[in-house]
Amino acid sequence: MAAVPVPDDAGWYLYGVVGDQPERPAPDVLVLREGAVAGLASRVSLAEFDEAALPQRLADAAWLEEKIRAHEQVLESALAVGPVVPCRFCTVYRDERELRRFLADRADVLSSALDRLQGRVELGVKAFATAAAPSQAGEAESGRAYLEARRREKQAREELRETRAAIAHDLHRRLVAAAEDGVLLDLQSRELSGRDAEMIFNGSYLVSDRARFEDALAEAVPEGFDLELTGPWPPYNFVPEELARP
Amino acid sequence: MSSRDLDSYGHGSHPAQLADVLERVLDKGIVIAGDIQINLLDIELLTVKIRLLIASADKAREMGIDWWQNDPFLSGSNGQGQLEDRLRKLEEKAGLPTTSEEE
Repeated sequence: MAAVPVPDDAGWYLYGVVGDQPERPAPDVLVLREGAVAGLASRVSLAEFDEAALPQRLADAAWLEEKIRAHEQVLESALAVGPVVPCRFCTVYRDERELRRFLADRADVLSSALDRLQGRVELGVKAFATAAAPSQAGEAESGRAYLEARRREKQAREELRETRAAIAHDLHRRLVAAAEDGVLLDLQSRELSGRDAEMIFNGSYLVSDRARFEDALAEAVPEGFDLELTGPWPPYNFVPEELARP
Repeated sequence: MSSRDLDSYGHGSHPAQLADVLERVLDKGIVIAGDIQINLLDIELLTVKIRLLIASADKAREMGIDWWQNDPFLSGSNGQGQLEDRLRKLEEKAGLPTTSEEE
């Protein structure tokens, strides 16, 4: 513990909750045990995470990315050893007593969540349309031809939207059938996804049999679409409802 | 198509895309109420997320968008027009009639 300096005004940043795994996922992460569950926490400066100063911190993209990646990294290391129930970003306690009280008070629901997550992983699936969308109305000879072209273009867009919605619906249905649970996430813009192709599907699944899930995924790939599989993730999307709201 | 053809990555060799991490870490997971230092409300995180997800910082700079500097929530300044804009967006998110519609 001496290797990592503890700030004078240190609070406790809680990453997530594990069961009986004794290992620290990182040198500066402590395992705070309360009966059958344990919190994974780091000492952090309360000034750095102060609520009043936080908006500015969050506006610092470099700070935010560093902290978010660190949060994810701790949980991924824990996940490599056993199930983990992840906390939301920036869950910081002023003192250890309160953190331990949370663990003790919610031990039952945390334990059953960990039991449910045993042997299961969260996998993300995104689908991108590789086929080009209908082209814009080109140069038209007359006003009437232009309007007609616009009308057809609008209709084609509408049909494309419906087709893609049907594909997404079918994909989700198939993937849920090969998983324990599944949720749909917001579609990401091109800037976010970093791909030229348009995202038409973004889902996340709690999976116990990965081979079966990947088979279902391979079978479900429609013509003209690329699939991207991500994970395993800490099961952010499969935290019990009663823990996922204040 | 076999599962080998899937465009996939594990976290070991490639870092996950920031957008994928953000959409999970920022508004999913255990939410604890009570005596903790920071208890950001859903709506505040949502706002941050919306701003963030407009573009990564580099992309935003490339595009000349200093969205964090013009945001009253993020910059701490008190731009009335932007506050209204933010309110309208949140109202839309919540499925409420928006301020602009009433005007």
